[in-house]
Amino acid sequence: MERKEKEYTHVSILVVGAGPAGLAAAIAAKSANKEIDIVVLEKAEAAGNHNLSGAVLETVSLKRLLDESGFDWQTIKGADTLLERGVKDDDVLFFLGKQLSVNISPLITIGRKLGLSFGQMCNEGNSIVSISKLTKILGEIAVSLGVEIYTGFGAKEILYDRDGKKINGIKLVDQGLDKERNPQPNYVKGETITADVVILAEGTDGLVTEDLVAKAGLKRKNNQVFSVSVKELIRVSKKQYQLFGDNRVVHTMGYPLWSPVFGPAIFGGGFAYSYGDNEIAVGIIVGADWKYYNFNPQKAFENFKQHTFIRQFVDGGEVIEAGVKMIPEGGYYAVPRYLQQDTNGKNLNTVGYKNVMITGDSAGFVNMNKIKGLHNAIESGSLAGKVAIQCMQNPEKAAQVYTGMLEYSSVMDEMKSAKNLRAIIARFGQTIGYPLSIVGNYLPVFSMEEDYKAMTSDEFTFDIPGEYDKSTFVSLAGTEHREEQPSHLSILDSSLCIDKCDSAFQRACITFCPAGVYEKIGINTHPANPSNCVHCKTCQRKCPFDNIRWTVPEGNGGPKYKQM
Amino acid sequence: MTNYIVTVKQVPDITQITGNAFNPETGTLKRGVLPSVINKLDADALAFANKLRTLSPGKIICLTMGPPMSEEVLVYSLSRCADSAVLLTDRALGGADTPATANPLAYAIKKIAKNMFNGSDDYIVISGMQSVDGDTAQVPAQIAEELQIPCIAYATEVKIAEGKFQIEKIVAGGNQWVSPKRLPCVVTVANYEYPLFASFQRSRLAKKFAITNWALEDISPTLYGYDGSKTRVTRVFPPPKSSRKNREVNNIDEFIADLLSDFKKGSAGAALQAEEADYIVPTEREGGTFQRIFESTDKECEAFKQVAQALSALNITSVEQLDESLVDTIQEHLQKKLTKKAIQEMFEGYKVTEPSYSGDVWVVAEHDAEKTNDVTFELLGKASHLAKLLGLRVGVVLAGYKCGHMANDLIAAGADDVYLIEDALLEDFRPVPYRKVVADVLKKYDPQIVLFGATPQGRVLAPMVAYRLGCGLTADCTALDIRDNTKRGAVGILMQTRPALGGNIMATIITKDSRIQMATARPGVMKRIQTDNSRKGNIIEHSIKVEDSDIEYDIVSTELGSESTNLTTADVIVSGGKGLRNRDNFDKLVRNLASVMRKKLNCQVEHGASRAAVEQGFVGRTHQVGQTGTSVSPKLYIALGISGAIQHLIGIENAGIIVAVNSDPQAPIFKHSDYYIVGNAEEIVPKITAALRD
Repeated sequence: MERKEKEYTHVSILVVGAGPAGLAAAIAAKSANKEIDIVVLEKAEAAGNHNLSGAVLETVSLKRLLDESGFDWQTIKGADTLLERGVKDDDVLFFLGKQLSVNISPLITIGRKLGLSFGQMCNEGNSIVSISKLTKILGEIAVSLGVEIYTGFGAKEILYDRDGKKINGIKLVDQGLDKERNPQPNYVKGETITADVVILAEGTDGLVTEDLVAKAGLKRKNNQVFSVSVKELIRVSKKQYQLFGDNRVVHTMGYPLWSPVFGPAIFGGGFAYSYGDNEIAVGIIVGADWKYYNFNPQKAFENFKQHTFIRQFVDGGEVIEAGVKMIPEGGYYAVPRYLQQDTNGKNLNTVGYKNVMITGDSAGFVNMNKIKGLHNAIESGSLAGKVAIQCMQNPEKAAQVYTGMLEYSSVMDEMKSAKNLRAIIARFGQTIGYPLSIVGNYLPVFSMEEDYKAMTSDEFTFDIPGEYDKSTFVSLAGTEHREEQPSHLSILDSSLCIDKCDSAFQRACITFCPAGVYEKIGINTHPANPSNCVHCKTCQRKCPFDNIRWTVPEGNGGPKYKQM
Repeated sequence: MTNYIVTVKQVPDITQITGNAFNPETGTLKRGVLPSVINKLDADALAFANKLRTLSPGKIICLTMGPPMSEEVLVYSLSRCADSAVLLTDRALGGADTPATANPLAYAIKKIAKNMFNGSDDYIVISGMQSVDGDTAQVPAQIAEELQIPCIAYATEVKIAEGKFQIEKIVAGGNQWVSPKRLPCVVTVANYEYPLFASFQRSRLAKKFAITNWALEDISPTLYGYDGSKTRVTRVFPPPKSSRKNREVNNIDEFIADLLSDFKKGSAGAALQAEEADYIVPTEREGGTFQRIFESTDKECEAFKQVAQALSALNITSVEQLDESLVDTIQEHLQKKLTKKAIQEMFEGYKVTEPSYSGDVWVVAEHDAEKTNDVTFELLGKASHLAKLLGLRVGVVLAGYKCGHMANDLIAAGADDVYLIEDALLEDFRPVPYRKVVADVLKKYDPQIVLFGATPQGRVLAPMVAYRLGCGLTADCTALDIRDNTKRGAVGILMQTRPALGGNIMATIITKDSRIQMATARPGVMKRIQTDNSRKGNIIEHSIKVEDSDIEYDIVSTELGSESTNLTTADVIVSGGKGLRNRDNFDKLVRNLASVMRKKLNCQVEHGASRAAVEQGFVGRTHQVGQTGTSVSPKLYIALGISGAIQHLIGIENAGIIVAVNSDPQAPIFKHSDYYIVGNAEEIVPKITAALRD
């Protein structure tokens, strides 16, 4: 096997991340031009393994993408049934305490009719999908079209050229280091991959994306904020499933996160979707600006499952899979942009930098009125893929062209329509915030603090006492890493844990990390079990002292979601 | 310049097996449920080949045989270190057992040497010791036999000394450094610590690489596919439900109380198949030769029972009365309908009333020149039982140097005839000379059943002997019975039952197109019979010349554990793994717990270790428990800091009660244990020790 290095380490279009956005980009690009080589890098062992969502999908973008590919995609095994579970029953409930629930769906319907922002929560015409399955199938479609997907490769940093003309490519993570960072006999130094155009599609809080933001000086008008979502897939009895229904989505507000006036006040809610085969997907989404030092989203989820309404469907069921991920909620003003003007003095402010485009959750394209980002990930990815092909002759124009197209697309329409919602709730709370958000777009831009600053000494009271069984949760996420590698999680200054966090917040990371990565050993807080990590990155955003950093571990590690 | 051929295999990823993966009715694996991956030990073999290449540069060619999708493992190999790849794929090659797999691979290897190495003999074939789906370890040894080249099995390390390769391999109770006297040779890798990572560059190249595809006519093998196979699977069924309790321990004191009470009861979690009814040959059966009550499956027995009743009702008493016209008449008499073809086959089968094979039941002895290994006595117990059923004698092959003194012990343990072969060149065990003498004595005396121990020795010797004699061989049997397969005209044949897919299914296998039915059984699985020193037997000396040229490798050094251990006879074994982190911890935790156990339970307590702990130097090789160490069957097995690699789990599956302590909540050993504790052994073990002292 002769080695012609350049030939294999240079790529025309490099996509970082084989999720819905990245694969949409690759499919759109390949559909536009078969001749150009397109490489997708993915840190998971297989496409779909690291993808978790509800998910209720608005199918328009996906269908358009696949139809335009000119490929008979329904021939891929499993693709024909992918979108078959249309939403028929669509309930929004308000949980008052652990027993009562009020159906507020009629309110949403009225909102929709009046064209108010919260009316967007209606799910008519949408499909219930598993994002892990969807991603796996998109990967197969992309490969059939001629896209090269390489799984098991973690991208560590962007190659920023100091002359500022463009981005050269990315660097992969080292493999085969031992715990103390000594090279083992099988050591492979992180390779450099150069590319004409780079599309960042890493998902929430992307490592390379944030590296680009820092190195090239991209700015956000508002801080990015997040929520943490905990999800389980539960196999229930036939009777329970029939009771729930085969095409139903339920969204909830209130218990256990929020009780107007006196109770706890955490932004978020729960959901339950029919999944077929007597399986129900149940989850909770929690704003990461919770203020309670002892709060753990999984415990809240456990309480949620015990609410009378949810319990009737899932009690006695078998949990088949479980997982956690973060959702970027900052909205329109939290999208990172490179501030620049064209020769006429018009603001370009590109979502990306020269030959690099940022898509999907990495950009933060989640519509908070719908609490959905999947369709925007596919749409923004598709646009980026098309632009990459258009700009093959002048790649440094890519971000500019992409941003121009975004502004006139459904993505930015939606982002603008929900631009103030999260910030209003962050400022005014839910009781006042929700009504106020109806007129949110006529209000000034409210600033948002980073989530980690929200932590206080307030205590959250859970109805179910005791420790949460994190080890079972981790095994249901199927997460694994090679043990003998350097920890991919680091605590920057251990004295903060000892001197400040211990007394103020009882080392909150030990409580909230869903995988039980952190432990107190001696007087220090250690990422003692990095191999349990489910790649949610909550620690990086919620450590009350901004004292934790997540980097990418060796490829193939992390969760193995099959139908999340 | 040496070249390297690495044989790789695509297997289902059995680490991801869940309850959903099997059809509960048939016990067979559902297609497509498990992802396909490269066999773990073949990945180790690739890393080993890469190491060899750093010592003596050359090309690495990887080779696989399988359906077109097996190409994925070649891409895997190319992404790491291989320079070229050959896929052997042809429908005609499918359905093959081990010799019918080894033969085409050997022919492909010859072609690779001719085409890609310009006919140079300076090459080494490297294979994983075994595959995780079949785990027979037979194919590499049989490739070596077909190519008439040496096989160095169970390699773990390699170096160059005085311009020659030296390979470290596992032998019973220790390690051995050997130097091959000639190339080519086959090396099987038991474990190599650092599997290679894919590089992006290579992965990209691999995706575009033109893999060489060969079909049947490109290699013209002499033995292949189902027709070339020497064994046939007659039945696949789910393993007996594990009776392991899988109870997580939260309170140490309660756990100790439960454990001690279980231990007193002698509760055995082991799921060994119960002995079935003793076999009787058709001519001696009550009710005549139409009584086919010893078929291999219950369904067949039932069908025959019905037909026998119908025949009796019709007053048919002899085989001569069976003719075509009776087929329809019989059908009317049946409650559960059988096809016409089935009845015709049964009629045909009735004609056979004598056992299909002739000759005695033999065991090939294994010894260390001083005493015979336990496994030989266990096999003798089984052989005696089988011989009794068929009215045959029990023979033992005892080959070695100055080993004749062991013959009397063998006779006392059940042997009727000891076939003794002594030669100075047989002083140390080496596969090539041993397979020569064993095959020779088998050929001369023609036994019908031959049993080997499934030990590091037996697992390389047996496949070579079987291949040389053109006989089928079933590895690692957990049950051996005599049964009929009347419809196929087989009477009094050996039913060989073994676990497959890491113990997730059981398969019953019979030998076909062979003169001898051969099987291996793991130590600790069969039961020896009561030693009777008054038993009489014959010692028959067999002479066959062993030449210097038969010696395939020099033994540079052998390092056997200095401590003597009796893992096979222990009542309790306390084992430590890599999780104990260092030798001091190992000494402190394992030995302390063992000594407290000894006092408390007043029985034989030994200490064991996982492979990894031995590799880390915590303790000597003699303590290694598992498939490549010692298979054990104590009443109580305690695993500290052992995650439970499949080879280890296989080695302890016959233990009574299994207790596991591990900090990783996902440690595979937990699923195979009665009690498990999630936690650091350094914290947990002192608590257990203290609780036991009270």
